[in-house]
Formats: sequence, structure tokens, C-alpha cells
Amino acid sequence: MTERSARDWLVVQDVTKDFKGLRALDAVRVGLERGEILGLIGPNGSGKTTLINVITGVLPPTSGGITACGRDITGLPSFKIARAGIARTFQTVRLFRDLTVGENIEVAALSVGKSRRAARRAAEEAIDELGIAHWTDEFASVLPYGDERRVEVARALAMTPDFLLLDEPAAGLNEQESEDLLRILAPIPTRRNLGMLIVDHDMHLIMRLCDRLHVLNYGRTIGAGEPAEVRRIPAVIEAYLGSAAEEGRDAPA
Amino acid sequence: MREILGRAPYLNTVLTLLVPLVLIAAATDAFGGTVQQRIVTTMFINMILVLGLQVYMGNSGIVSFAHIGFMGIGAYASAVLSMPPDLKAMTLRDLYDVLQPIDLPFWLAVTVGAGVAGVVAAIISYPLMRLSDAAAIITSFALLVVINDVLVHWSEVTNGPRTLFGVERFTYLWTSAGVAFAGLLFAAWFRESRVGLQLRASRDDRVAAQSCGVNMVFVRWVAFVLMCIYAAIAGALWAHFITSFQPGHFYLEEVFLILAMLVIGGPVSVSGAVIGTILVTLAFEGFRALEGYLNTNQVFGTQVFGLTEFLLALAMIGILIFRPAGVMRGRELRIGRRHRGGRGMPATKERAAD
Repeated sequence: MTERSARDWLVVQDVTKDFKGLRALDAVRVGLERGEILGLIGPNGSGKTTLINVITGVLPPTSGGITACGRDITGLPSFKIARAGIARTFQTVRLFRDLTVGENIEVAALSVGKSRRAARRAAEEAIDELGIAHWTDEFASVLPYGDERRVEVARALAMTPDFLLLDEPAAGLNEQESEDLLRILAPIPTRRNLGMLIVDHDMHLIMRLCDRLHVLNYGRTIGAGEPAEVRRIPAVIEAYLGSAAEEGRDAPA
Repeated sequence: MREILGRAPYLNTVLTLLVPLVLIAAATDAFGGTVQQRIVTTMFINMILVLGLQVYMGNSGIVSFAHIGFMGIGAYASAVLSMPPDLKAMTLRDLYDVLQPIDLPFWLAVTVGAGVAGVVAAIISYPLMRLSDAAAIITSFALLVVINDVLVHWSEVTNGPRTLFGVERFTYLWTSAGVAFAGLLFAAWFRESRVGLQLRASRDDRVAAQSCGVNMVFVRWVAFVLMCIYAAIAGALWAHFITSFQPGHFYLEEVFLILAMLVIGGPVSVSGAVIGTILVTLAFEGFRALEGYLNTNQVFGTQVFGLTEFLLALAMIGILIFRPAGVMRGRELRIGRRHRGGRGMPATKERAAD
């Protein structure tokens, strides 16, 4: 990777994360380029959410480094990582319930340093992109579940990030809602020139949406590449068959 | 007018609240006797304290006891600065030589008092702003105790636990009302401001707010310092209203009264702070009249001391059980249209105009 192209990458370099004797991430290496959609998949407890938490500074890594656009962001507090151009959503929706939908989105744009005017413009753009304009003046606490998910994505987009990390954006959505969301998400990386990392269990959605896949199991990378290649890797097949057999139970971490 | 209100809905809230407040002040001025004047002047001073508490506690979601300590700092600082030197020679015999000849006009003394409290707050509070939940509440209480201890023992400046007397009276009905109105305008603006919005986001979800770029420690700190400045201004006005006081006045009883006003009104909105102050003042005076009536007429055959505080505490418990978000339930009073939580987006307004 040349110095020049490093400006377009989010690079996770040999990141390890230990929780009291449990290795949640084991020397994971992932690169995410602007303009692409990378699917991060793996059975329950394989470390997907932990990886997002480590990248966004919610958890400090035990070892390893992370750079965004060539800048070292390892160990920074999460608000600085957000300002460095990395936005995220959460596995369980985390909206600001006593703020309106408009405020939820505008405050994110303001917090990364935009002026009042620019923040408002970024918020409007994100609101239109996600098709939630009719909710703008309502409190976030009154939203139906499916729209909560959209507001969370709009909030992240209003930060005009270089990299967008989506933690199970389709979890809990019905087939139609999930289909609609996919249609909204697919063109975003190209239009906004951002790298999108998406964690999801819906393999149908992942296979259709992603340019590349990265597979974790027990915190270790067991496969990476284009979707068609990855689904032929024996370790991946085994992990997924194993997890399918244990469906409904928590897989060991 | 409609244009301006549409762009800054907090002005609508402020104007809506100002109408009854100005009426109360004007009616008291025109028809009230000395007692009513005192009650309403004190109510407006309390309103400044409650609005200050709303700025921090309402927007950050963290209960604080410390601000009453800063009320004390404002009261003593302004009193020492505004007192004529010959009076100081009598009431504060051990006062430092540097402070002895200072004789500031009232408003300058208030400003400097608020500035002193603001600087102290800014320095002490920054490391505390990382704390949330119980830890934050306990440390704010500890801060109150520490400040009280300093006021009690720094006899050179405060006359120790004894009463400091000889402060000139400068605060009258419209003085406290005017400052309360300004405090209301600022609190309503702050809530919608850049820092206010970020603070409210961090109140609703700490992790998500920080992942959106909110520097939580910083925005909490700004609001905490503002709260202390509010409290110090209120303390300075009160000092120049009551004219003699002691450190004990800036302690638990006052903390409870101001907290009750905000909690009963509803801490999340500025309207809650204003309505709570009015309601508790009415209740307080009502209970006190009742207590006086019971005592003079020996209704229970014995004296019932402390009935007022007792009933006020009951009212607070009742509110917390039956209406935990306070009387206003986090809403702002607004005239003219259905309440919305914040500023409308132009996008939707255009759509509505189509």
C-alpha cells in the first residue's frame, strides 16, 4: 500500500482484544477502502461487534493499531475517532430518545465540528437519503422500530464520515423493511465515497450487498475475499454449518 | 414576528413564560404589601437558582447539590466587595488589607462575585465531569460540604459561622425579576445551542453521543460552570436583599428547596423550572400560612413546627411517584402550535407549505 492510497483506507493492523482471559479478537487484520462495502460475518460471539467497538474507541485494543486515512487513531477516545471520520450504528438501537429525529441527526453533524448551517444541510441530506422526512419533528421515542434503524443510519451519515460501520442494521426488520434498507444502503458508498463495513446475519442481504467479505470465528480471521470465493472456504462452511446446527443457542465465545 | 419565532422557537417559549411572570411582578409591585414584595422578590431569586440547575441537571441528566455552595461564594464575594470600608472595619475586622478599601458599585460587585464563582467552578469541576450516576451525585454533595466548610472557617472574609451583617440593600422586586427574565432567556437559548444539544444527547445515551463526536466531559463542564454562575448571581442578589446572613443559609435546606422546585416542575425543560418555582413558592407560602393558622389557633393543642418542610417533602415524593418527569413532563410551553421538541427543519416546513 503506497502512502497515497493509505488516505483512502481504514486499516486494522493485528488487533487483539482480551477480556479477562478470553481472547475476543486475535491478531485481526482488516482493511476497508472508500467506496466499497465490506461484509463482516461470523457466528455469534465471533468478535464482530467487539471489532467495531475497538475501532470506534468504545473499547481500547489490547494490542495492535488502527489507522484511518493514514492517521493513527489507536486508543483515542471515541469522540475523537468520530471526528476523525468514523461513524457507526449500534446492534441495539441507541437514539437520543428525548430529542426530535431532526435534532438526533443534527447534533451528530454539529458534534463533528460542522457549523450550524452546514450541520443543518448535512442533516437534511441524510434525512432525505433515508426517507424519514415525515418524522423530523417527532421525538425519537415515538418511532416504530424499523424507522429507528433508519434514523440511526441517517445520524451516522450526517457526520459525513469517511468510513461507516453498521452493526446489524437489518436485525429485527421484516423482509420488506430489510429489502428497502438494502436498496437505500447499496448506493451510499459510491455516492458519498465512503467505506462501509456491515455486520449482519442475513446472508442473503450480505451476499447481495457486499463487494468483499471478512469472516471471523472465535476472534480469528478464517476467510476473506469476494463473496463467491469466501463461501467455498472449508473453515467458513464448517463455522456456518456449526452455527446453523446450534441456531437459537448462544455459540461459545 | 412569526418568522422570527419559526426560526428560534425558544423565543416563543420565553415570551410565553414571560407573560405570567411580568404580570406577577407588576401585580405585586402595584398591589402587594411588604410581605408580598418579599415573597415575590425571593421567588425570582430562587427562579435564577432553579434555572441554573436546569441548565446543568436538566440537560446533562446529572443531579447536582453543589450549586448552592456557589450561591454562597457569590453572596460573600459580592458582599465583601460592595460593603463600604468603614462598615467593613466594623463587621469584618480580620479582613485582608487588600480587600479592605474596595468599594465597588452593586452591579460590579455582582459581576465580580459571579466571575469568582465561575473561575472556582471551572477549576474544581473539570475532573469531576467524567463521573456519571451515583458517583457524580455524591461528589457534587461532597463539593457542597467542602464549600460550606470553607465558608464557615474562613472568618477573615466570611465572619466565620457567625452572621455577616451590614450588607447594603440593593435588590428589589424588579432587580430580581429582571435578572430572572435574562436567566430564562439564556437558559432557553442554551438548551437549543450547539453545546446544549450535545449535552442533551449525552444525557439520553452516553455511548452513542460520544460515538457521534460529543466531547461529553467538555459540554458537561460548560453547563456546570454556567450553573455555578447562575447560582452566584442569585447569591449576590440575595445577599443584597436579605442584608445579613451566615454560611448555614447556603446549605441543605436551600439545596432541598431548589431541587424540589426543579423536580416538581420537571427538570428537562426550562418551562418546568419556571412553573416549578412558581408552584413550590405558592405551596410553600400556603403551607406556611396553614402552619401559622394551626399554631395560633392551637388546632392540635400543640405547636406544629416544620409542617411546611414536611408537606413540601411529601409533595416532592408524590410528584416522583405519580409524575416522575415533573409537572411539565419535559415539554416547553409554546403558544400557537402543537409542541415539538425542537427546531423544525426547513425541509419539512417547505413540504408543509406545498
